[in-house]
Amino acid sequence: MPLTLLKQKQNADGGWPYVRGVSWTEPTAYAALALLAAGETEAAGRGLSWLREAQRSDGGWAVQLGVDHSAWVTALAALVPAERLGLRAHARAIEWLLSATGQESTFGYRVRQWLLGNAIPDFDCAGWAWAPDAAAWVGPTSLAILALRKAQTRRPSAAIRARIESGRRFLWSRMCNGGGWNYGNPRVLGRDLPPYPETTGMALAALRGDGSPKVGQAVAVAGRFLAECHSADALNWLRLGLMAHGRLPEGYCPPSGIERRTVLEASLDLLAASAATAGSLLGS
Amino acid sequence: MRNDFTRREFVAATAGAAALAGCSGVRPMAPSQVSIVRAPEYDGRLYETVRGLLAEHRLEVRGRNVLLKPNLVEFEPDGAINTNPLLVHAVFEGFRALGAASVRIAEGPGHRRNTLDLADAAGYFSVTPHFEDVFVDLNLDDVTQVSPPRQLSGLRKWYLPRTALGADLLVSIPKMKTHHWVGATLSAKNLFGVVPGGVYGWPKNPLHWAGIDECIADLHGMFPRQFAIVDGIVGMEGNGPIQGVPKSVGVLVAGRDPVAVDATCCRIMKIDPLKVRYLVLSASLESQLMEGNIRQTGESVAAVATPFDLIPEFRHLRLEGRG
Repeated sequence: MPLTLLKQKQNADGGWPYVRGVSWTEPTAYAALALLAAGETEAAGRGLSWLREAQRSDGGWAVQLGVDHSAWVTALAALVPAERLGLRAHARAIEWLLSATGQESTFGYRVRQWLLGNAIPDFDCAGWAWAPDAAAWVGPTSLAILALRKAQTRRPSAAIRARIESGRRFLWSRMCNGGGWNYGNPRVLGRDLPPYPETTGMALAALRGDGSPKVGQAVAVAGRFLAECHSADALNWLRLGLMAHGRLPEGYCPPSGIERRTVLEASLDLLAASAATAGSLLGS
Repeated sequence: MRNDFTRREFVAATAGAAALAGCSGVRPMAPSQVSIVRAPEYDGRLYETVRGLLAEHRLEVRGRNVLLKPNLVEFEPDGAINTNPLLVHAVFEGFRALGAASVRIAEGPGHRRNTLDLADAAGYFSVTPHFEDVFVDLNLDDVTQVSPPRQLSGLRKWYLPRTALGADLLVSIPKMKTHHWVGATLSAKNLFGVVPGGVYGWPKNPLHWAGIDECIADLHGMFPRQFAIVDGIVGMEGNGPIQGVPKSVGVLVAGRDPVAVDATCCRIMKIDPLKVRYLVLSASLESQLMEGNIRQTGESVAAVATPFDLIPEFRHLRLEGRG
């Protein structure tokens, strides 16, 4: 069913909308990855052509063609295998990711905070933002780590390894009290914020292979969410997150009646279907 | 029925609004009408109450496209975080009865990406038949680049959803809540939900960096055709907009001028609207916020006012005396 939906929703230009309308980078990248994993190379190929055409001169991707700045979706394009995207295009995407941080980690911001006498954020803990001129958040940081980890497997480098580690420290610094992740800070105005299922799944996916003792706490929270959650998006990421740590219950199937309403949800459902397909996001 | 809205049309509309605002600086302000009506519960009586409100304000929407913008924030069916779905449906039916060509419901939640799941959990699917057919996720809608007529924030250009830009009337239906960054969240702050997460992220953090108060004022200027209905039946006090405590007020507050509506809501909450920065920035003249310049109908502010608990950071907003 998700496969049919993806084929139906593909735009004439080769890209995909979220639901309907113009093509966006996020659904296009996920749909292409899902179709590649399913062996549907013709539709995937047209999606990859759209992606290649949409790459910006700075090596990044905008969220859609009508927007004039590169953003977090560059990580999704970089998840596409380099040989499929194009070696040069992929290398430029990785360069863009290595140069991008949340605004709070930039030199200018840190100098300003120092001059104002404010606390200076930990430089060794840089994540990724959704958009330029904004702070780092759990979602885009998790996706950037996934992309860089795949790149590191293919062509290891100290720079990539350093950013992965920095991003992981960012994620651990944002873990909620008791485990799991909200979308950003775990506390606001002295009050604990609750973890969310989708961000908890994303962060766990990005922390695959991390030996921190805190992993168990986060996995336990994700397991509880998996049992009670009814959102396709959240269940997709929880499956991927638990799978990344070998903790998805054997033979798990999402509850019946879960609706996959967007191209995003259908694509991630296909990718989370098995360890083999999940490798497109989680790496080998 | 129009489904699109060109940039040229948008610029013309907002320039006209700005010109009108400029004119008001040299002429006495026509007082904005704001209605306060009692609505003790979320029940079937709301339909009649809302019909009465719309009739009182003589909204001419026959053949027009109306977009309802509730405040949908969290997966929560019964609390005070989201605009109650029964109220939204009552407004939906009210505008349909007035002959609107289309009435749609739209929202772009600030930090949860799965909007339809959120709407489902908040009770919207069960209250509005065929909800998915009339709902637009503004986070994922196609966008058009526009510039605010009066730029106050650091954002010179904005990407806004075509569904919202193309509406003949944008109806803001927020919850009456305190807010831990700006003091109070009402119909003007509710426009943050029009900004597409697909471009700005979850949360829409570039707006925080560009100045929340200034961005609210910019957004207010970019949507000159608004009506506001504030859900004050059960609001939220304390650490709003999510972690606060439900506060029963039992009112709906409505009007064509969102700034005047919000100023009235503030007075009901015992908050001084002249100390709420984004309201001062949004007002074409500060006198727009003065109680004497608002034509109050229905209940008086004094009859329904009840102090909303404020977190320490915003206790200075407390309205002293009558305001």
